[in-house]
Amino acid sequence: MKANKTEQKFLKLAKTVQSDERVPGGFAARVMAQVQEQHALETGSADEQFLRIARNLPDNERVPYAFEKRIMARLRELLTPDPLTHWSRMLWRAAAPCLGVMMLAMLFSAGEPAETSANLPVDQSEATDFESVMLASFDDLELTW
Amino acid sequence: MQATETAPETDVRTDEELVGLVVGGEVHCFEELVVRYQPRVFGMARKYFRNESDVEDVVQTIFTKTFQKLGSYRGTAPFEHWFMRLSVNTCYDALRRRRNRPEHTISDMLFDDENWQDRLGNIPSGDDPEELEEARELVHTVLDQVSDRARIVLTLQELEGRSIREIAEITGWSESLVKVQAFRARKEMRAAVERFLMKEKRL
Repeated sequence: MKANKTEQKFLKLAKTVQSDERVPGGFAARVMAQVQEQHALETGSADEQFLRIARNLPDNERVPYAFEKRIMARLRELLTPDPLTHWSRMLWRAAAPCLGVMMLAMLFSAGEPAETSANLPVDQSEATDFESVMLASFDDLELTW
Repeated sequence: MQATETAPETDVRTDEELVGLVVGGEVHCFEELVVRYQPRVFGMARKYFRNESDVEDVVQTIFTKTFQKLGSYRGTAPFEHWFMRLSVNTCYDALRRRRNRPEHTISDMLFDDENWQDRLGNIPSGDDPEELEEARELVHTVLDQVSDRARIVLTLQELEGRSIREIAEITGWSESLVKVQAFRARKEMRAAVERFLMKEKRL
């Protein structure tokens, strides 16, 4: 079957049209990324496969309802002074100065000449005092009898 | 007469402006910061914790700490960087505290329908929520087996694609330490995956 004139003209025109060989931007990179991913999946080690799964997981950014209100309520609680906490904090703060005063008192008393029992008369010594205090009730009993 | 058009007023305050207001005593402005950052923080926390109550706890701690330390923010770096550093460090602390009570054992994580080898070769499509959930479980189970430092480095480097320098800035470690940790983390992760595969073969 022979083409008529119109068809011949059309074919001639069609042959003159150049083929469109344009490539979308980044097409090669896209294809290569897919190929590499597939290749890694098929040939990659277990840890690489694991990482691939982990990387492909979308972030779950869901926020519980009114979470910001909860946070603000907690912060308000923190800002409200609690008397017990305040008291315990003050006690802790006072602990260091008290310790310091105690140490100073110790040093001061260590520097003072101590009154030993040798300097005192025998009846006034601590041992005698202790004994007399302990036996005071018995002395009273003797007197009563 | 030409109608005067009023330009839309942009009253979106920057992070730094909000921080200034909060530090200045306008505590209610902190809520705007919370609303702005909470999706990101939840997304990040869910990479480290699978249990939703743990996630909420750690996010709450992050925002409480942020509020308490807001006075120490000097404004030399963007607030976002300072905040993300604090967030990652808080997650790291929470991971260390949680280390004493592991949530799942290896035997809990053996799937009935498919074996591990098949599961590792199957990237979740994202359309099927069940498939995604199972993939999440798998990732958490493997990452629960590595040390806390390794988990932090793996998450930041391998999952979030951060550079060594960025990780060093976030964690406060030196770049050489991050490199060493990244190498060890990869090794730990490989060992964990292999352990799962070995366990499955034995059963």
